[in-house]
Amino acid sequence: MTELPELAIDTTATFVVSTALATRDFQDVHHDRDAAVARGSKDIFLNILTTTGLVQRFVTDWAGPRALVRNVSIRLGVPCYAGDTLVFSGTAKPDGPDTVVDVVGKCSLGDHVTGTVRVSAP
Amino acid sequence: MNAAIEAEAARLKELGESKPRLARDPVNEPMINNWTEALGDRNPVYPELAPPAMVQVWTMYGLNGVRDDDDPLGAMTKVLDDAGYTSVVATNCEQTYHRYLRPGEQLAVTTRLSDVVGPKRTALGEGWFVTTLSTWYVDDEPVAEMMFRVLKFKPPEPTGSVIRPLVNQDTEFFWAGTAARELRVQRCPDCQALRHPPGPFCPRCGSGTPDYVVSCGRGEIFSYVVHHHPPVPGKRLPIVIALVELEEGVRMLGELLDVSPDDVRIGQPVTVDWSRVDSDLTLPVWRAVP
Amino acid sequence: MRTLSGAAAIAGIGATEFSKQSGRTELRLAVEAVRSALADAGLEPSDVDGLVTFTMDSNSEIAVARELGVPRLSFFSRINFGGGAACATVQQAAMAVATGVADVVVCYRAFNERSGHRFGRVSAAVASAPTTNGIDASWSYPMGLGTPAADVAMFARRYQHVYGATSEDFGRVAVADRRHAAVNPNAWFHGKPITLADHQASRWVVEPLHLLDCCQESDGGVALVVTSVERARDLPHPPAVIAAAAQGSGSDQFVMTSYYRDDLLGLPEMRVVGDQLWAQSGLRPDDISVAVLYDHFTPFVLVQLEELGFCRPGEARDFIADGAIEIGGRLPVNTHGGQLGEAYIHGMNGIAEAVRQIRGTSYNQVDGPVLVTAGTGVPTSGLIVSR
Repeated sequence: MTELPELAIDTTATFVVSTALATRDFQDVHHDRDAAVARGSKDIFLNILTTTGLVQRFVTDWAGPRALVRNVSIRLGVPCYAGDTLVFSGTAKPDGPDTVVDVVGKCSLGDHVTGTVRVSAP
Repeated sequence: MNAAIEAEAARLKELGESKPRLARDPVNEPMINNWTEALGDRNPVYPELAPPAMVQVWTMYGLNGVRDDDDPLGAMTKVLDDAGYTSVVATNCEQTYHRYLRPGEQLAVTTRLSDVVGPKRTALGEGWFVTTLSTWYVDDEPVAEMMFRVLKFKPPEPTGSVIRPLVNQDTEFFWAGTAARELRVQRCPDCQALRHPPGPFCPRCGSGTPDYVVSCGRGEIFSYVVHHHPPVPGKRLPIVIALVELEEGVRMLGELLDVSPDDVRIGQPVTVDWSRVDSDLTLPVWRAVP
Repeated sequence: MRTLSGAAAIAGIGATEFSKQSGRTELRLAVEAVRSALADAGLEPSDVDGLVTFTMDSNSEIAVARELGVPRLSFFSRINFGGGAACATVQQAAMAVATGVADVVVCYRAFNERSGHRFGRVSAAVASAPTTNGIDASWSYPMGLGTPAADVAMFARRYQHVYGATSEDFGRVAVADRRHAAVNPNAWFHGKPITLADHQASRWVVEPLHLLDCCQESDGGVALVVTSVERARDLPHPPAVIAAAAQGSGSDQFVMTSYYRDDLLGLPEMRVVGDQLWAQSGLRPDDISVAVLYDHFTPFVLVQLEELGFCRPGEARDFIADGAIEIGGRLPVNTHGGQLGEAYIHGMNGIAEAVRQIRGTSYNQVDGPVLVTAGTGVPTSGLIVSR
């Protein structure tokens, strides 16, 4: 078992908006604070495609450019609002020819995402 | 009601895959660069290859997109909406990538309904888990798959409306604070004593010009109850109400949201969150910190 | 030393039937109870010159006096804080008698608390009252904490956590009350005792309180006639002499939600009452034969035993084990059946039971001085009566 180095991301409003648009997710709760509050949220929050992308980035930052991502399986928890910090931690263990990484992404409200990523050598 | 939901689920499952829907653009470097720039991903294999997690990005409906008629998630959403399960939250996403994609490749996606399970009691309310399976193709070659699960649930059915606080000049700073999402605790500017609930004077030194500090919003459950009977206006029972001792040292009441009553413990760390009732009232609530 | 002890006595007790639907007005209940108490005392409405009731009572002193035909009143007073007023109405009456302000004072409480306004329900009016009480309630009601059961449950959870008391320990109070009520023909639960298993199987109201931890909701009225010991000795029944009478409020006191002070494990306001009761009467806990302890919710019966000095803090669960608070035990409690077993008349029916114990007419008779308490979780009061 190998501990991955932590990845901390300041999920600023700019980060939430720019990642939502880069993933082509135009739902108002990801870029319009007034609309998000009107829908009962505290603020705009991270979209799922970004969470998936960040989980992948967390693992490839550690595994290196030659690693091939085969699978990302995530369970979604509490929302990650603008102004929060999202901290990823993980442990890797071999599984046959592959490596499976257990990932947790925590923000101030608790577990934002938990899951596993399977990578293999090229 | 359940029979109608199950019948529609069976019908949609029977239909199988929706017809392929083409991505607006082929896989391309500018969109990859937008993505890696926004997410801060410096993996040097991009943009020569596309990040695998981008697969869904290529086939997003976009700003003015309209869901296809044969999209099973759309059809299933409609029947659940009609049955009162009007709220939605995504719970699981599992993506499998058969190979990496390169700029220039044209993707298409199909979706089919995998299963619909319910009704289940959840922390958010009663709901149905709807699972879809999507496959991305380049020509006839499947390149990636996704299992996506959402919970369609009944939002709380409040009985009557939440009881509103009486606010006066001694307490209005607190409620102005909740509206601004600040948890304000009265502080005596002379002896620095903190106090909740607030009042016009400092009981310790007698100062009559109280000030406040903004609490960090973190604390521990000092005690709690699970309210079953009788009805509470504006609440769907049971609810957990916790007396929290904040890190600053004062205690405060609030509803503890999204927990199973059996999981609550004295000493459990919590953090403040906000429940917006309407434009005039926002209530502080607690959330458990795992 | 100036003292209230021994100056006045309760010379008459009266009540309506206890029901779930009286079918008549609260004023009619009040007047029936007062008439019954006066008849018991061998007095006429024209003898009455003082009336005392609860701030919460809907029947004004003048309305009651009018219906009774009381020609003149020289003293009328009301006590605040819900059931905490019960024993304090007698204290007020005794003070009026002791100072010569009045000769015969009747204390009364009457309501349709089950068929009319039910205290067990969430009342939006409480939180919007344009008073400091309304402001106080604004720190709990909007947050969803809005019933007396919930208020007490918050305390009970902490008490359990720190002292290791269990739901069964609370249940022993209910079992004792219902055992006593079972032989009291005036009790709603006459002939219906319960077991600890019944208590445990009853549904949750507000965890950690089961339904059988909670008192009844009742319709009815109770009245008590207070006069000088001297005059009482000429009346038909042996007087229940007021050996001590006291009120109490603690630091940082709230109504039912004193959650912000010290350790949330005691009832400091009841300690204020107890200290005065022992000092005025010259008695000690060992001298008390029967205790009528306010039992709107069972956990506070345990805490009262601690605050009044019958046992040490946290040890009430040991004190009440093995039937100690049942008839035949070390300190029989609520020999009428309490508010769980007899009726919920805001504590006034418990004072009437104390008088029956002094007269020797209780259905669960024990001889000796009786201590009575009023509402818990609120500023409260207490009495010791003796022969």
